[in-house]
Amino acid sequence: MIDVRDLVKRWGDKEAVSHVSFTVGRGEIVGFLGPNGAGKSTTLRMITGYLRPSAGEVFLDGHSVSQDSKAVRAMIGYLPENNPLYEDLRVREYLEFRAALKGIPRSARAKRIQAVLEACEVTEVADRIVGTCSKGYRQRVGLSDALLANPPLLILDEPTVGLDPGQVVHTRHLIKQLAADHTVILSTHILPEVEAICSRTLILHQGRLLFDGTVADLHRGLSGAGHVLCGVKAAREAAQACIASVPGVSQIAFLEEGGGVARFRLTAPGGTEVPEALFRACAQANLPLVELTTEKVSLEEAFLSITTRESAQEVLA
Amino acid sequence: MRAVLAIAKKEILSFFFTPMAYIVVASFLVMNGFIFSVILAALSQPGSSSASPMAIFFGGTMFFWIYMILMAPVVTMRLGAEERKSGTLETLMTAPVSDVEVVAGKYLGALALYGAIWLPTLLYGWILSRFSPVDWGPVWTGYLGVVVVGMFFLAVGLFTSFASRNQVVAAIMAFGVLVLLITLSILSILATDPFWKGVLEYVDLWGAMQNFARGMVDSRQLVYCLSGTGLFLALAYQALQARRWA
Repeated sequence: MIDVRDLVKRWGDKEAVSHVSFTVGRGEIVGFLGPNGAGKSTTLRMITGYLRPSAGEVFLDGHSVSQDSKAVRAMIGYLPENNPLYEDLRVREYLEFRAALKGIPRSARAKRIQAVLEACEVTEVADRIVGTCSKGYRQRVGLSDALLANPPLLILDEPTVGLDPGQVVHTRHLIKQLAADHTVILSTHILPEVEAICSRTLILHQGRLLFDGTVADLHRGLSGAGHVLCGVKAAREAAQACIASVPGVSQIAFLEEGGGVARFRLTAPGGTEVPEALFRACAQANLPLVELTTEKVSLEEAFLSITTRESAQEVLA
Repeated sequence: MRAVLAIAKKEILSFFFTPMAYIVVASFLVMNGFIFSVILAALSQPGSSSASPMAIFFGGTMFFWIYMILMAPVVTMRLGAEERKSGTLETLMTAPVSDVEVVAGKYLGALALYGAIWLPTLLYGWILSRFSPVDWGPVWTGYLGVVVVGMFFLAVGLFTSFASRNQVVAAIMAFGVLVLLITLSILSILATDPFWKGVLEYVDLWGAMQNFARGMVDSRQLVYCLSGTGLFLALAYQALQARRWA
């Protein structure tokens, strides 16, 4: 559906987006993740045709964004960052204007507007002036606009920013529903959002694409940097000597000793084999292993780890 | 065309949502009514010239130009600047609408507003006709002048509005350009060198308006106004295009 090829955006000699390439298939929900200023919005703006890339190309279903901009724009429902709206129009007037711009035939407009108002639950403010609506409603008005022409692709730039927790949950739920028959690209710097909604994640940092994979990949790729907690019913020295013999353990940190049990926290880049090897080693040495926990790496850690490293390959290696 | 009309309609609607609209329209009508009555009073004096009041109204006083220079920027200042400031330009420029259609829609909206502001002045002609026979020919050519000069001035205002993200800056820039255009008229009167006088006569809007008001349509002056309109619309388009590279 989307084919981004070697996209570059320069401002002066600073590269805001640097040689980014990826593809998105029909029906995917892709989370565009990165700290503020990573180049997420700039990339999305180049996909929607608002900004021209300095180099590279974007294709949507084979149409080039730069050559065939109008056709491409008709395929996209776009909610820009900060959700800009005309403050002085009424919600319905705004949607009528947008519907006319998007070429929805006059006869179909009222029906279509009613449909998006209902889908986004903004019917109750349809006749209010946009400027007087709460932030949550405004966000949903923006979303209604994106849905208006029923485009195959939705691009949502930070759709939940500034909403209260209830509204955030509601918006995420709505996006998830939309994903049933739309391809969605969603940008955010909130990790749980990606975990809650997206099937795939792209991590952008300083204009470069550092990670492209599923949320599960993200966890798995980083379990390499994971930890194992264990408690051995033995004296500290004996236990430590036994653990040190386990292959794949790079670091042993002693935590505490009490009730005859010594507890340690192991750094194990090896991943899943370590707990098993540890169990066998303890059994062989006849030291009862009374506690064994694998610490799951949180998405926050994964994200920080990726954005503070040079490349994702290192992480995934 | 559908998008052009939608944008024009939206601009007209938005204009009347601002208090500025009512201030502009009301002060325009009050002041023009006042000037019109002053002209009538002066022409009713015994021994005054036999000039047509509408001719003086359109071309003979500096008030016409003061309104034109003030009104055109006020009508156009919001068009581009407000969209940039509020960020709505992004939604507009990612809708399936070409940049030419955006410029055309905004310009058409401004023209319609400008026309709506002038429309009530048609009453002056009707009032005159109740008391004395009116030669309608020069009145209509006077309105033709109002239209072509207005097209020129609104194009200037549209350009400066797309060139700035601040309405006030846009209005002041337009104001500056329009003052410069009228200064050319004054220079053409003051010039003594025959070459420069000849050149300046081509760009003498004041003189053009006086001709229109007397019923004389000079194609050179029409061409000047229309090519000025074209130039500034092209600049407005370029200013909008520049957003895509920013």
